[in-house]
Amino acid sequence: MIIYVATIVVIVIIITSLIAVFSKKLLSSIISMGLVSLGVSGLFFFLQAPDVAITEAAIGAGLSTAIFVIALKKVKKGETKDEE
Amino acid sequence: MKNDTPKVFKSIFALFVVAIFMIGLFYAFVSMPKGWGVNVNNRVSRLYILKNVRTATKWLNSGKFFAKGMKPLRAEVPYKPIKFKKTANLEDGAANVVTSIVVDYRGFDTLGEVTVLFLAASGVMMLLFGKRVKPKRKKTEPSLIMYVGTRIAFAVIFLFGIYIFVHGHLTPGGGFPGGAVIASGILGLFLGRNGYSPNHAGLKVFESLSGIAFVIIGLIGLFSVKSFLANFLPTGIIGNLYSAGFISLIYIAIGMKVGSELAAVVDSMIGDTKEEWS
Repeated sequence: MIIYVATIVVIVIIITSLIAVFSKKLLSSIISMGLVSLGVSGLFFFLQAPDVAITEAAIGAGLSTAIFVIALKKVKKGETKDEE
Repeated sequence: MKNDTPKVFKSIFALFVVAIFMIGLFYAFVSMPKGWGVNVNNRVSRLYILKNVRTATKWLNSGKFFAKGMKPLRAEVPYKPIKFKKTANLEDGAANVVTSIVVDYRGFDTLGEVTVLFLAASGVMMLLFGKRVKPKRKKTEPSLIMYVGTRIAFAVIFLFGIYIFVHGHLTPGGGFPGGAVIASGILGLFLGRNGYSPNHAGLKVFESLSGIAFVIIGLIGLFSVKSFLANFLPTGIIGNLYSAGFISLIYIAIGMKVGSELAAVVDSMIGDTKEEWS
């Protein structure tokens, strides 16, 4: 049973990482990177490493995504200021 | 220049102080007592030793490897099962094996990890250093539901983070995830209200104090058990909250340090600063 769930998770990781690389919009890249972290944390949980899973879910999917979004917002603000 | 000579003196004085400090550190490192007359590098878990029975019997018969106060293995090395909430006086009474490796056997490694995180956070703060300015465009005000909801959620998330790092020696988790959970709760507070700013200097002081607490716990180990970051408290019964000696103390220090550090990083990322570079 768990092997099927893990296979689905792996497929989701591969698809979201391809989106993160090839997407034109930076925001969708960032969000799919967060999804990759979420899938990886689920995979860690299946592989009997709950400590790493908790850390990955808190830092990879939570904090680093938020920090990337904030940084993207700041960079875009600077771009519009230059155009004006 | 007029102020040139004092500057030179200042830098020479600083170099002098640093040199004295380094020499003292080197001397302390060279003359550091080897704890229990045991090579600390060889000190691994007893169950790990059990895998290699011949070596275990040899070391046991020589009486060299295991500490004096510790319960010795029997000569024929049988497998003695460890029972939850019953077995007492283990070498390291943490129910979570990962924690006992990370904090007890490889505690110095964790100290280095915390230092790496501290350097990364101070790099972020150095890059984003500057005077706080008000944003020119008015930001959209979050609704009342968001404001109240993030505040209620923050209490729950904060409690959960504290639970993670206080129970680090019993359940999966530990200082780093607990601190990250607390920091994400503070991120929620930032989203809930425009212009929310925690006390930045207070966060820094808190973080430094908990970092110092980590080193002081290690130094207590150095002076009482004669090995840096050695366990100096009784290990108790496995599975109890008050067990595993100093692991919970160190994890509380790490959790507070990581939480305040990441919160300060988020604070300096989210606030608008006037550029002082370029």
